Amino acid sequence: MNRKIYIFLICFISLFAYSKDQNYKYETIADNLSHPWGIAVIDQNNFLFTELSGQLRIVEDGVLKPEPIKGTPKVLFAGQGGLSGIILDPNFNSNRKLYIAFSSPDSGKKTNTLEVVSAKLSSDSLVEVKTIFKASPSRKTAAHYGARMAFLDDGTLLVTSGDGFNYREQAQYLDNHYGKIIRINTDGTIPDENPFVSNENVKPEIWSYGHRNLQGITVVDGVVYENEHGPMGGDELNIAEPSKNYGWPAITYGKDYSGATISPFTEKEGMEQPIKYWVPSIAPSGMAFYDGPLFPEWAGSLLVSALVPGDVRRLKIDGSKVIQEEILFSDLGRIRDVATSPDGSILLATDGPNGKLIRVSK
Amino acid sequence: MVVNSLNLLLSIIIATCLVILQETMSNIFWLISVDMPVSLGIFITTYFNNLFAMNLSGAIPLVALVAIGFLVAYLVTKIILRWVNISKSYAYALAGAAAILAIVLLMPLAFYNLDILAGGRSILGKSILTFFGLISGYYFGKSLEKQEVA
Repeated sequence: MNRKIYIFLICFISLFAYSKDQNYKYETIADNLSHPWGIAVIDQNNFLFTELSGQLRIVEDGVLKPEPIKGTPKVLFAGQGGLSGIILDPNFNSNRKLYIAFSSPDSGKKTNTLEVVSAKLSSDSLVEVKTIFKASPSRKTAAHYGARMAFLDDGTLLVTSGDGFNYREQAQYLDNHYGKIIRINTDGTIPDENPFVSNENVKPEIWSYGHRNLQGITVVDGVVYENEHGPMGGDELNIAEPSKNYGWPAITYGKDYSGATISPFTEKEGMEQPIKYWVPSIAPSGMAFYDGPLFPEWAGSLLVSALVPGDVRRLKIDGSKVIQEEILFSDLGRIRDVATSPDGSILLATDGPNGKLIRVSK
Repeated sequence: MVVNSLNLLLSIIIATCLVILQETMSNIFWLISVDMPVSLGIFITTYFNNLFAMNLSGAIPLVALVAIGFLVAYLVTKIILRWVNISKSYAYALAGAAAILAIVLLMPLAFYNLDILAGGRSILGKSILTFFGLISGYYFGKSLEKQEVA
């Protein structure tokens, strides 16, 4: 008898869990996309997004234009490289400027690097394309570019620059751009207040260091949140601050893909701790802050898209602590990016050669 | 046959243990260089952790990779030795070195130029790993020579 009551209770509770999942609906805006990577929201019905294979696409009035935007820079589409991060200028509505991060092949060499260009969107073309940052030195690998961007409140641009996989130790040294957050002005010049600007032996664009492969960055009320892939385990959510060292690879909660211990240490004085880490890995990709009207119960949360097993983590933050984690949209596969629309709906880019752009609304 | 198999297994185990030692040392020495508080105890613990983890929980079990490399290299050497008259210990030493070098060089080709064995990223690292392959192969060749004498 007790067993029957128990089964009945489980079924009853499951019904509520199911109805909770149905609190939102999916709408596929575009499909058959070639590795969609970064989304930039113009307004609730107009978005730009990158495809890793090199195309910049636009959704106008909710419909994907069949032809990609012309004038995009030449990219190295290999491994994890390609046309990656995109962000609109804070004054995009008046100046039509945007910024794109991508893996750029070095001419005549077998090397490549992370590059950021500014450009102006004119009808269906990019014009006035200008390089504003190029990571140095170049790399032989096609992995761990970072390539996400966010604006600080003062209008300077933060660019995430990954460790290039084979060059992980370089994240601890300041004479290179591996494993760093970069801060530049939108014309490519270096802000005078950058933390290491007065040191001759340091790359002046460096804002923070000791990062691995930063795949999400967003600024909320002046606080910079960034997520990064750990190796096997050890994915992190950090609050990034200027001049701080985030420890990779001297401290980590992850192991190398070979199984080897990269470092037996998880903390050290002078190195920052993540506000959350994931073991095993979830492979965090994009990140957005939700404060829209459509899902008031999610207001004030960070949304972190994840590739493994494929979902979005809603993280409720209190100060510098994550106080709640909820798994959302776990039936869509690997999710490469997440963005919020002014109407409160959420945009998701699913990963892969047949990726989709999906809107989540009520 | 049984003795040969046992010696083959031992040479694979020797190579695996040495590769893991090099991987551990490469990570630990760098940690020391950035003033991380590495003690002898931490080094030993890390090495033994790696012995298990690199064979049981890594993306590819290292011992299996070494075994495949050595089996191919030793087989080719055995065939060559039918026509070429050189010392078995030297011939198998070269085979062991070639096997490890092939693993270190070919693995990145399968992973977008990424060195999954971090200890093999530098030329020095590749040289040390190749030398460890040489030692393991030499052990196998020497054991074959001893059997022939006996």
